Amino acid sequence: MKKAVIATIACALGGIAGCAHNPPQELIEARQNYATVSSGPAATVAPAEVHKARESLAIAERAFLDDPDAQRTRDLAYVATRKAQIAQAIANREMEGRRKAQAEQFYQSKQGEMIQKVKGDLNQTKAQLREEQIRQSAALDQERQARAQAEQRAADADKRSKEMLEALDKMAQVKEEERGTVITLSGSVLFLTNEAILLPNAQVRLDQVAEALLTTPDRDVLVEGHTDSRGTESYNLDLSRRRAEAVRSYLVSRGYPVEHIRAEGIGKARPIAPNSTADGRANNRRVEIIISPKAKSEPH
Amino acid sequence: MTSKPSSIALLSAALGMLAAGCASSSKPPTEQLAATTASERAAEEVGATTMPQAAYHLQLAKEQTEHAQLLMKKHENARAKSVLERAQADAELALAMARADQERAEAQGALDRVRALQKSN
Repeated sequence: MKKAVIATIACALGGIAGCAHNPPQELIEARQNYATVSSGPAATVAPAEVHKARESLAIAERAFLDDPDAQRTRDLAYVATRKAQIAQAIANREMEGRRKAQAEQFYQSKQGEMIQKVKGDLNQTKAQLREEQIRQSAALDQERQARAQAEQRAADADKRSKEMLEALDKMAQVKEEERGTVITLSGSVLFLTNEAILLPNAQVRLDQVAEALLTTPDRDVLVEGHTDSRGTESYNLDLSRRRAEAVRSYLVSRGYPVEHIRAEGIGKARPIAPNSTADGRANNRRVEIIISPKAKSEPH
Repeated sequence: MTSKPSSIALLSAALGMLAAGCASSSKPPTEQLAATTASERAAEEVGATTMPQAAYHLQLAKEQTEHAQLLMKKHENARAKSVLERAQADAELALAMARADQERAEAQGALDRVRALQKSN
């Protein structure tokens, strides 16, 4: 190899003895090809192949020194050229392989990224759906609860009214009229004849009435005194007024709001039974407590 | 050349040997011939005929192999062996070139897939 290089330099300088022969075209080509491949990326990518090309060229150079004109020298140089080209082709293949591997790796990581992203999006959508579901079911619950409460309140109010009426029913005659709920208490139960002072038994009765009334303390209540037809008009009016007032005072004393209750004496003007019989007259002597159908904001 | 009667070929070979002073007295390079034709087949299998440069070198290999076979008939065995070495170098180059081209096509395919993926994203 060293000899060959020296010979080459010597020939290049020219005119030196023992250097009568120029290298054949094949050898020139082989040198050029080897120079190209050994200075390019092949030196690092396919070092074994470049090494083979170098050895092949060395053999050709030795043959050239031994016998410059021989066909064998040209053949060996031809082979050396091919070896350099083979090294280049193998290096090319290696580089393409690396490019391919890189692209495939990039493809896979990109694909993985995309899958991750799609998964992420999916999870986000799922979470949003779940949140929406929770919100909707919460709203539904709230609505259901509100409805149940309203129903409960209505049922409670109904029940209270019913209980009140039932309680009243037990102690006195109760009627539903246009002017409201009318509780009729017999005069003989409440008062002695021609008196306006409540009997002890009457107080027990009225306690029960008061209790019932107090379940709806916002209703306007009217207490009316009635007599039978015996006696003078003015006497009966006065007696009935005093009796109504006695009942009103008692109910107020039991806690019924004073602004929602008033008393009136009607006298004998509105009998509910014939005055011709004792029973009829007894029915006519009475106190009526009228509970207005619904609450009024202003007292009478 | 191949259409000539073999007796003439043999005669001319014998005359040649005499003229050259029995320069090609070595034995026929049958192993080298087998190795060369094997390399040619390998190059063909990898698809060297479809890539112009590889096809060119494969063609060179085949022509030189044929030439070597003629030389062997003329008993110019040393020369035939040398020509076969050239032929094998060309066949190996065709093989290496075909493989490199194949790899290049695959790399291109991989890059195209990457581009398609990026476009679709």
